[in-house]
Amino acid sequence: MKAGYNHSVFSGPRLRFIAGALVVINGFFPAVWILLTSLKTEAELVTRPISYLPRNPTLDNYIFAFTDQPLWRFILNSVAVAGLSTVVTLFVSALAAYAIARLNLKLRQWVLTAIVASSMFPLITLLVPIFETMRAFGLLNTYLALVLPYTVLSLPVCTLVLVSFFQSIPRDLENAAMIDGCTRLGALWRVVVPLSAPGVFTAGILSFVNAWDEFLLALSLNSSPLMRTLPVGITLYQTEFVFPWPVISAALVVAIVPIAILIAVFQERVVGGLTQGGLKG
Amino acid sequence: MLKQLRDPSDKVLGALLLAPAFLLLALIVVYPIGKLIGNSFFDLRLQGGGKAHWVGFENYLLVVQDIDFWNATLNTVIITLVTVPGALLVGLGLALLANLPFKRRWPVRLALLLPWALPLAFAGLIFAWFFHTEYGFVNDAITRLGGPQTMWLLRPNWAMAAICISIIWKSSSFMALILLAGLQMIPASLYEAAEVDGASRWQQFREITLPMLMPSIIVALIFRTITALQTFDIPYTMTRGGPGNATETLAMLIHKNSIEYGDIGYSSTLAVFMFLLSLVVTAIYLRRISRSA
Repeated sequence: MKAGYNHSVFSGPRLRFIAGALVVINGFFPAVWILLTSLKTEAELVTRPISYLPRNPTLDNYIFAFTDQPLWRFILNSVAVAGLSTVVTLFVSALAAYAIARLNLKLRQWVLTAIVASSMFPLITLLVPIFETMRAFGLLNTYLALVLPYTVLSLPVCTLVLVSFFQSIPRDLENAAMIDGCTRLGALWRVVVPLSAPGVFTAGILSFVNAWDEFLLALSLNSSPLMRTLPVGITLYQTEFVFPWPVISAALVVAIVPIAILIAVFQERVVGGLTQGGLKG
Repeated sequence: MLKQLRDPSDKVLGALLLAPAFLLLALIVVYPIGKLIGNSFFDLRLQGGGKAHWVGFENYLLVVQDIDFWNATLNTVIITLVTVPGALLVGLGLALLANLPFKRRWPVRLALLLPWALPLAFAGLIFAWFFHTEYGFVNDAITRLGGPQTMWLLRPNWAMAAICISIIWKSSSFMALILLAGLQMIPASLYEAAEVDGASRWQQFREITLPMLMPSIIVALIFRTITALQTFDIPYTMTRGGPGNATETLAMLIHKNSIEYGDIGYSSTLAVFMFLLSLVVTAIYLRRISRSA
């Protein structure tokens, strides 16, 4: 784990501080700028040169954000779609990952490749047939229309994360439980599932963020105003000629804060899961 | 019988456990691929309009003759060629900076995670505001430094530049996270040995860091290229493909023809072309990898 860091050009503490500041500003600046914009009045926003800090901070934009459009409903839709997708993805990928990691199957490598290869497939090219399928089932403008494709979207990375997690659980623990009279499924339920909680958790966050962020399918399949997810709903605050930037900014802040808190709290797991999925894929 | 149900063999249990995943892939990937290819041979519309007619390769001929198709393909290729190396360079820089021995690691790590977790559509909206001609941050900063004003999103080439900058910002942090993990796997002993041999910092970077990082770089490049070819969210939220169709990508053209115009046959054919494009790119990468391995 010890990388050659003291061999870097930035070895002094001061240079190190500058390096850290660069990364932090790069990552946070857009979000901070939007926060500042959301606190300005419309009048302040259209003065030049532009002001950096709001002169008369106001929360009016936040009120408008909720009254202009059904923002609560967008939040509910996003939480429902991302939450349901996460549950379904975890269920499906945990079963598949267990089979790949533990069972004596001839085709296991082939199965894993098939699941991962589906992630290489540009889902956008399938927009039209997926739209037709959902329409045929009468699922347009329902949560299920998004939950099914989002599950496929996150299936590969979650399966990869869970396969390596299951492989790290000693097989002896399972065998011991079976000797003690557990059936195979009993051992799976009583031993493997509780021990894999951290891995399941990591996979869960990844699939939640994937679903939370998706735009094209949400825009195409759930277009009715009350079924829009946050990214779609906020994008459509603007009309062709009017861009209510302070209100859009307020809505963006409302939408960004929960996901920012989520990744701030669980950052180590998220990084672990991302790089694991990335490096093994 | 009951015992068999509770203690199934590996084969039976495997089939049961894998069934949900494969059912889902069949419904959302395999069946739609077939449907897509089938659609492309029909004169098929979303609303009304009687029966669909078999038109053979007519849709394909129309696509090849469609100026909009070539325009969108060119834009998609430009975005890919600019943002993939761009995100790699910026991401590598961020990863090298983030790999320093900070006392507190979380601010830096969170700064890399936040752009990754931000929906692309939000990044597009935020950068559209950044690049606003009159009240945007970018033009304001340029003016304060004494530079000329640019109507970023209203001029074709500048709009493309603004979109590429936004995509690079959004995607470089994921790149950095992957590369950072790669950097942290390089054993410190390699650098110590190089130091003993009197290698300069630049030599160490070229002879140790880069080659050791290559596997991570390739993985990150493949991921990034595949997503770059599907670019939709950022140009859609920043310019809606404008001015004119100067920043319209293939994904946007497919969305417009299918969801907005309801021309299922034609948009399916466009999607077939887009699929072929990504297939070619993936094949090139895979050949490169197998040659270098």
